[in-house]
Amino acid sequence: MTMTESPPSEAAESSAAPLPAVGGLYDWLTTSDHKAIGRIWLRFGALSLLFFSVIGVLISFERLDADAIDVFGGVNSYFQMWSLYRFGIVLMVAIPLFVGLATVITPMQVGSTNIAFPRAALAAAWGYVLGSLITVISVLSGGGWGALDGVSGDEADAIRLTLLGTGMVMVSIILGTICVVTTVVSLRTSGMGLTKVPLFAWSMLVAGSVWVLTLPVAIANIAILYIDLSGGAGLFVGAPNPSFDVYAQLAWILDQPAVYAAAVPVLGVAGSIIPVVAKGRQVSHEAMMILIGLAGLLAIGGWSQPFFGDERDTLVYIAFGVAALVPVLASLGGNGATLIAGEAPVGIPPAHMIGALGSMLLFLAATAAGALRVIDPLDLIGTTADTGVLNLVAVAAILGALGGWWFWAPKTDGRLFSGIQGLGAMTFLLLGGVLLGATDVIAGFVDTPDVLLASADDSLGDAMIVLSMIGSIVVLLGVLGALGAISLAYVKPGEADDDPWGGHTLEWATATPPPVGNFAEPPARVRSEAPLLDETPGDEGGES
Amino acid sequence: MTATTTQLAAPAIRRPRTVLVGTMFASGAALMTYFGVLAVYVSERAAARDAGEEWFPEGVIELGPSGWIFWTLVLAAFTVQWAVQAIRNDDRPNAYIALALTGMFGAAVFNQLWFIINDTGFALAGTQGQFLFFVMTGTYIVFLIGAVVFLALTTMRALFGQFGPSQDDGVAAAAMFWHAVSVMYWVTWIAIFVTK
Repeated sequence: MTMTESPPSEAAESSAAPLPAVGGLYDWLTTSDHKAIGRIWLRFGALSLLFFSVIGVLISFERLDADAIDVFGGVNSYFQMWSLYRFGIVLMVAIPLFVGLATVITPMQVGSTNIAFPRAALAAAWGYVLGSLITVISVLSGGGWGALDGVSGDEADAIRLTLLGTGMVMVSIILGTICVVTTVVSLRTSGMGLTKVPLFAWSMLVAGSVWVLTLPVAIANIAILYIDLSGGAGLFVGAPNPSFDVYAQLAWILDQPAVYAAAVPVLGVAGSIIPVVAKGRQVSHEAMMILIGLAGLLAIGGWSQPFFGDERDTLVYIAFGVAALVPVLASLGGNGATLIAGEAPVGIPPAHMIGALGSMLLFLAATAAGALRVIDPLDLIGTTADTGVLNLVAVAAILGALGGWWFWAPKTDGRLFSGIQGLGAMTFLLLGGVLLGATDVIAGFVDTPDVLLASADDSLGDAMIVLSMIGSIVVLLGVLGALGAISLAYVKPGEADDDPWGGHTLEWATATPPPVGNFAEPPARVRSEAPLLDETPGDEGGES
Repeated sequence: MTATTTQLAAPAIRRPRTVLVGTMFASGAALMTYFGVLAVYVSERAAARDAGEEWFPEGVIELGPSGWIFWTLVLAAFTVQWAVQAIRNDDRPNAYIALALTGMFGAAVFNQLWFIINDTGFALAGTQGQFLFFVMTGTYIVFLIGAVVFLALTTMRALFGQFGPSQDDGVAAAAMFWHAVSVMYWVTWIAIFVTK
């Protein structure tokens, strides 16, 4: 008979080795601890978030009066930054933040001592950093994803470099994700069947599987474009000089349904946070798993790329667009029911709760806008509604990732982040996300074109563009607030308990900060999706 | 305060095989990359035919050499499974022979593909069909080299005494990736060489 005499958190606290210092460059380049590897993703993702938020504000400022304002110095430069923002906010911010969070949290959630293939995970993290830098530098050197006004030979070289950097980021995401999903599949602790996997780990398994099967299709596109630029006849890149075709062949990854995959982990973050806030179990864990699985299934989008013709007027595309709304709405309902069934928080809500619920609302808004966008008579495709859906998804993912980071900060960073500052930042991000996304969708109804190269000729469209710019500024303020709070937590570190929220899953049975190997002793056999809510000594039976 | 306890002894965990699971996902990614290129090839060819254009001149793509590759890979599928079974039976000599044979078949496939590329006389900067043929075969060669390297590493680890009846996942993973690369070619053979 085995009995854990003391709660795992206490046991871990008493015998845990101190967190090894990971500060020097050598340590950062050679660590095999999943928490340190995850922090590389998170910190560079946070810096990228700041960079792309500033780019977003500059683009929206240029859109105010495209005829008179020339922030970037020409139509090609505008297009380069416009496309950089779109690829960057999804591939270099939203998805990497989740990969980082998952690299730190999922091994602990499933009771593992480390991530699967830690050296591959480290290579993926640095590949992401390097690929992002190559992409941004190449765009600033005149590259990007094609051009609207023809380019010189040097710029064509820079475009190849951009394609290389983008491909490198995608390969890194795939590699990092394989490590995460393999951990969830293979390294679960005793008793943890797949149906007992915590929802965040499950959402990463679902979203990660979609990324692993979808991003390679984009890599295939990149390979074709790259080789065509390198020695081909320019058949796919817009001969004789790279044109808008380069962007057009890759834009499906930023379009529905594929773009929804970036926000699927939002459902898992909310599904992990809400029961803890409500101090009760998820009303139906299995139903939530099915909904997350369905959301992932409806985010598979490699088939909708323009190489295969215009799939955007087919019945399948319309069905995917409308159906994507269902799992997100139902998942929001499930979390709402959990909140109602449990104890509603008294007083000021915690920042992570606002992050979790806000991100779900934004994801719901994105899928609702997406459902409208595919309805043919509304004629929204090719308008700013495209950007609206993209921004709603991106801010949903960012808000969800930040909400999760706030919640799991004791495990990711070994300290708590400021609740009040976090609350302010999350609120700004939520409001900014709504303004940024919804206004572009509304502007789409008056046929405001997506690549805005001249001022809109409609007063409603003009008004929406102004509001969209205000939204981008509010988002930037939210990002600044969040990053400021995280930085402040390092300047003035506060005490963090092992389990400050009364968590339900195994990561809360580790010490804060978690030691190398995570658990002082192997977790007891898991009997439900919330092991820390299971019977305590002296209980009979317990819940299941 | 939360606490966990159990009245049952936690049994020793028999974990699913990590390398095998990771390779399964990697193989899925590799297949999607390759089929992404193949799908572009097939859709562009269909579009060209719909427009009444000639995709390849008659007789340029021969079925013979590509068929040899097909059958070489069929043989290699058996030899790589022979290696897995031999490792499971702790029959190391047989495992070494099977792994070496599979690697040799891989080199033969590379040689045959190189012959086909030279035999067609296609140019990268030629027609859309010629360009995509180069991209297809080039992408395939990259994955083939990856499979051979994976196999070589596995063979070296086996030679150094790793793997055995209770730990065959490294060899099984290399075999899985090998099969994935074989599937790529078999589909290509039908899509390009048979249906032209």
